[in-house]
Formats: sequence, structure tokens, C-alpha cells
Amino acid sequence: MVVARSLTIPNPLVLLPKKDLSRLVQHLMQRYTVVGPVAKGGEHAFSAITDPAQLTLDYVSSLLPPKKVLHQPFEVLFSFHQEQGVLEEREPARGQVLFGVHPCDVHAIEILDKAYGHEYPDPYYVNRRQNTLIVAANCTKVGDNCFCQSMGTGPDLQKGYDLLLTDLGSQILVEIGSPAGEDLLQQVPLQPAPRVMLVEKEKRLDEARRKFKKRLNTSGLKELLEDNFRHPIWDELRQDCLACGSCTMVCPTCFCYNVVDKLDLNLKSGQRQREWDSCMLLEYAQVAMGHNFRKDRDARIKQRIYHKLAYYEPQFGTLGCVGCGRCIGTCVKHIDITDIMARLGGE
Amino acid sequence: MTDKPRVAIYKMSSCAGCQLEFLNLEPVLLDVVGAVELSYFVMARRQNAPGPYDIGFVEGAITCGEEIEKLKRARQECRVLVALGSCACFGGLPSIKNWIPERVVESRVYQNLEVIESTKAYGIDEYVKVDAYLKGCPVDKGELVEFIKGALLGISPHLRPHSVCVECKLRENVCLFVSQGEPCLGAVTTAGCGALCPSRGKVCDGCRGPANDANAESLARSFTEYGLHKSDVIRKFRKFAGLTPEFSKGAEAV
Ligand code: SF4
Ligand code: SF4
Ligand code: SF4
Ligand code: SF4
Ligand code: SF4
Repeated sequence: MVVARSLTIPNPLVLLPKKDLSRLVQHLMQRYTVVGPVAKGGEHAFSAITDPAQLTLDYVSSLLPPKKVLHQPFEVLFSFHQEQGVLEEREPARGQVLFGVHPCDVHAIEILDKAYGHEYPDPYYVNRRQNTLIVAANCTKVGDNCFCQSMGTGPDLQKGYDLLLTDLGSQILVEIGSPAGEDLLQQVPLQPAPRVMLVEKEKRLDEARRKFKKRLNTSGLKELLEDNFRHPIWDELRQDCLACGSCTMVCPTCFCYNVVDKLDLNLKSGQRQREWDSCMLLEYAQVAMGHNFRKDRDARIKQRIYHKLAYYEPQFGTLGCVGCGRCIGTCVKHIDITDIMARLGGE
Repeated sequence: MTDKPRVAIYKMSSCAGCQLEFLNLEPVLLDVVGAVELSYFVMARRQNAPGPYDIGFVEGAITCGEEIEKLKRARQECRVLVALGSCACFGGLPSIKNWIPERVVESRVYQNLEVIESTKAYGIDEYVKVDAYLKGCPVDKGELVEFIKGALLGISPHLRPHSVCVECKLRENVCLFVSQGEPCLGAVTTAGCGALCPSRGKVCDGCRGPANDANAESLARSFTEYGLHKSDVIRKFRKFAGLTPEFSKGAEAV
């Protein structure tokens, strides 16, 4: 995997005048598909760009996380035919650059790498991941729902990137995180950054750190959740929650999917497809003969919250929430994971 | 006689939009006709063959005694009976009249009330056993084809039971509700249409009826918080599926 290595300190630093950013992107586009934040109806969506001007690097959050280019919302895994058997159609391996990914989303990709890349490697994910470089961007803007600071996943990034950008006003500080990242800079004239730029970077990040409105206390989370399995809040949430599934659809660390065979009308050939699934949906835990082991909404909300904050850790060595705040912003009922934990913690 | 499954399409009180979707299947229609025999389809055939049929699709709500009789006959002549579209599933648009006295509704439309004997508008399962439901106003062509394939193979088709929001999110739409405060019914409505309306900038009107775990009461409370008048909330939940227990709770919640 071309998972970026964290180099021994200090990371090589360079300065990129902001006016040259589009030149850099232009060069990347010659060799790679560049996928970055693009404005969409007042929000932003990670999209393959055709012009560097489409990038909106001052975005706060994206509708779907950049996860979507590695673990796609819908994908055809293979075709099958009664006589010919299984017909694999792997995508041509044009490399892609995920551009402007925020620290929370980079952390989320690292979690997906563990879930899809280690014990039971998922060939579809691993294939795309190996062809993906990450140009991350530290956050100097903080959204109303962001709480990455509490989760230790932002607003700045330490590792997991090929290049890391920090907006310093008229200049962009570029930190190189891997040889592949260094290679991305080949064609662009850059000057080494004086060390003092790190002070400027810290100043910007400190400003950001003071802007967080949401927080989540992560100490003793597992015990807190274990002790409160029967807390009255779950029944309140059962009455409130619409079971719409939006909160998990937008989550950068959710990895659940469903597999469906779509037959052609000849009933002899077809395609095996998969798409994102969600534990918030009633049918998710339905098994043979119609039994459903999470038919009540409170059980499903608990599954989501416990999975993120209690069950990931033993499996992946990290919490399953990176504090991106998307589940909060997308919920029609304003159900808020930070509020839930504050209530349980007696705040 | 062929050994292809014989299909009948019946029309009750409806706009014929659902059966039209059979014709709109154009690119696959030939395949459909190849796989099944459309034996009784008045909209498309000059000559229609008598029953029995393997699959019967019933379009429309049941709104008079004559239709009740026709429906019962359809049940007898079909091995599998399918409610085609929201009217047949749970009353659909015709069911908006159910909360107004019958004579008042009739007098709004007809001059001579002596010959009119209408009943409340119900989905077909009010009167007969129904084997499958294809929701939508109109039905979704993809689901229709999926259903036919399932029927041919004798397996249950993959029809989405969950909310429209899932498909809306999979398409990465900007949420009209949380971004623009527009009262969308997608969170409690059955998906399967590909989030058709929100994908075109219009809120979901709930035409496919309640999703499998619809919490309409909670959504109704949010509608009022967003400034919707009580009468509008009621109208929203009764537009297509006011007869369903889920949406009637939504209409009564405020
Ligand atoms: S987005 Fe909100 S209402 Fe919808 S399933 Fe998640 S918590 Fe429930
Ligand atoms: S649980 Fe919510 S805040 Fe945490 S990573 Fe998922 S979407 Fe973001
Ligand atoms: S179980 Fe639920 S919360 Fe956990 S990854 Fe799957 S969808 Fe997300
Ligand atoms: S626009 Fe409607 S259907 Fe789409 S996510 Fe928002 S509430 Fe759900
Ligand atoms: S979005 Fe809603 S109203 Fe529109 S077609 Fe789908 S279910 Fe019907």
C-alpha cells in the first residue's frame, strides 16, 4: 500500500505561493485524477475536477466524506454468467490524488485501512487505496459541529498524508510526508520554508483550536457506556430518531455494506453489486425467518454510538469517531453524539 | 398457449400512470414480453385473452361497489396478485377524500348524484389478499422489472424497505430539510424511487408511503418546529398514505 509513512522529524518543509497552487494542481491533473472539495448547492462535495479553479479549499466539511472514492456508495464487484462464470472487471489503474482532505477524514481513512486492509483484505478497497495519494489540508476554519480536537484527530495532522498543506494567508506551507508526496512536487518551483514558518502555522492552528464549539470527553468512555446501557436517554432517542440512516451514510468511518445480485432479464447473467448499508435501518439486523435482533430504534442508536465509542477500540486500537460532526449536521432531529455523551457523563 | 407466465393488468380508480410505466419500459419491454405474456392489458392490446393468469397487477384505489366485485374476480383469476402503485397499495391520491363526507366529495365533482355510489378510497388489501406491493406514484420502472425477474425465478425481489434519505445520501444531494428548512417527508418514506424529488430540488411528498420503521410522529413534531401549520402537517401525511397506521399517526401527532 502507498500508505504515507510518517517520516522522522523534521518533515521537509516548502512554501508554495497561493497563486501557484493551481499550477501544482494542473501538474497533478496530468498524471492523476484529482478529487477534491467542489461547491455544491451551498455545501461541498468531493468530486473529480477538470479545472483547478473548481477546488474550494476553504471548505468546512463535505456532504459525503472522501471515503467515497475508496469505498464507493454503489459499486459493481463483478459480472457473472451462467456459462462463462465470473467475469471480473477491474478498473483501469489510473492513480488518483485526494486533494484537500481534512485531518479528521485522513484519520478516518486510516481506520478504514485497518478494517479493509488487514485481517481480511478487501481487494476492491485495497486496489483503490494503493492508487490513491493524499494531499491533506490542516483546518484553519472550524465548523459548528466539529469536535476533532476532542478526539485527537484535528485540527492538525501528524501523519497519514503524502503532502500536508497549511494555509498561511498568501502562502501555503507544504509538508512532505512520503517519497510519493515529494514526487508530486517535482514540476513546481518551490522554496524551502524557513523553520519560523512552523511558528506561523502553530499560530493559525491555535486560533482554530480556540474556535471549537463542541467537545466530547473521551476519558473512561467505554466504562461510561457500559454503565449506562439502560439510561433513560435511549428511550428518548427511540421516540425522536427517524431511523432514516442519514447519520451513518455520511460517517467517514462507517464501513458497513450490503451485497445484492442484479440479474439481467435473460435471468442467466447479472452483476454483483454492493452499496453502503446502515445499522440504523430496521432491516440491517434481520436474519433468516424474519427474526430481527435490533428491531427497536433504541437498540440501533445504541449500536451506532457504542460501535463508534466503545467497540472499535479493542478491534482497531482507536475510537471509531473522528469528530467530523457530519452525523450531527445531517440529522433532521439534531441528534448529537456529543450531547448524548455529555448527558451520560452527567454534564 | 405458451408456457410463459400469463400476466393481467387491471385498472381501478387511478390515473393510469402506473400501467403507463409498463409501456415506458420500452427498452426492456420486448424482453418483458419475451419473458412473460401480457395476456390482459387493455391499454396496450386490442385483443385480450381471458384468465386464469399467473400474475395480476391491480392499479388504482377501490372507490365503489363495482370495483370491489371486479377486484374479487381478479383475485380469483390470478395466482399472484400485486398492488401496482400507491393507490392500490394504500389508497394513494384518491384517499385524500376520505376525511371529507362522501356526499360532499361527490357533489364537488358530479352534477347528478343519483347515479353515484362511491365508497371511501381504500387500497386493494382492504378487500382481498395481496401477495406483493409495488409502491410509488407512479411505480418505479426499475422496481417493476426487479419484481418481474423475482417472480420468474420464484425469489423475493430486492425492494428497498428503508427511507428515501438513504438514496438521497447515496446520491450526495444537499439535504433540503437541514440546509433549507424545507419540510421533506423523505426520512419516513419508503425508498426505491432513487430519491427522485430531492434529487431535482423538490421535497419528498411521501408518495411511496411509510418506510419500514417510519417515525412519522417525530417528523410531524419537527415540521411544526420548522413553522409548518397543523393543517399543513395533516395534509402532508394524508396526501398519499393517510390510511396507513404510520402516516395517520403523523397526521394526528400535532
Ligand atoms: S440521522 Fe438522526 S434521525 Fe436519522 S437515523 Fe440518524 S439519529 Fe436517527
Ligand atoms: S460518528 Fe459522527 S462525528 Fe463521529 S466520525 Fe462519524 S459522522 Fe463524524
Ligand atoms: S455498525 Fe453502524 S455505526 Fe458501525 S460502521 Fe456499521 S453502520 Fe457505522
Ligand atoms: S432532502 Fe429529504 S430525502 Fe433527502 S436527505 Fe434530506 S430529508 Fe432525506
Ligand atoms: S422522492 Fe418521495 S414523493 Fe418523490 S417519487 Fe420518491 S417517494 Fe415519491
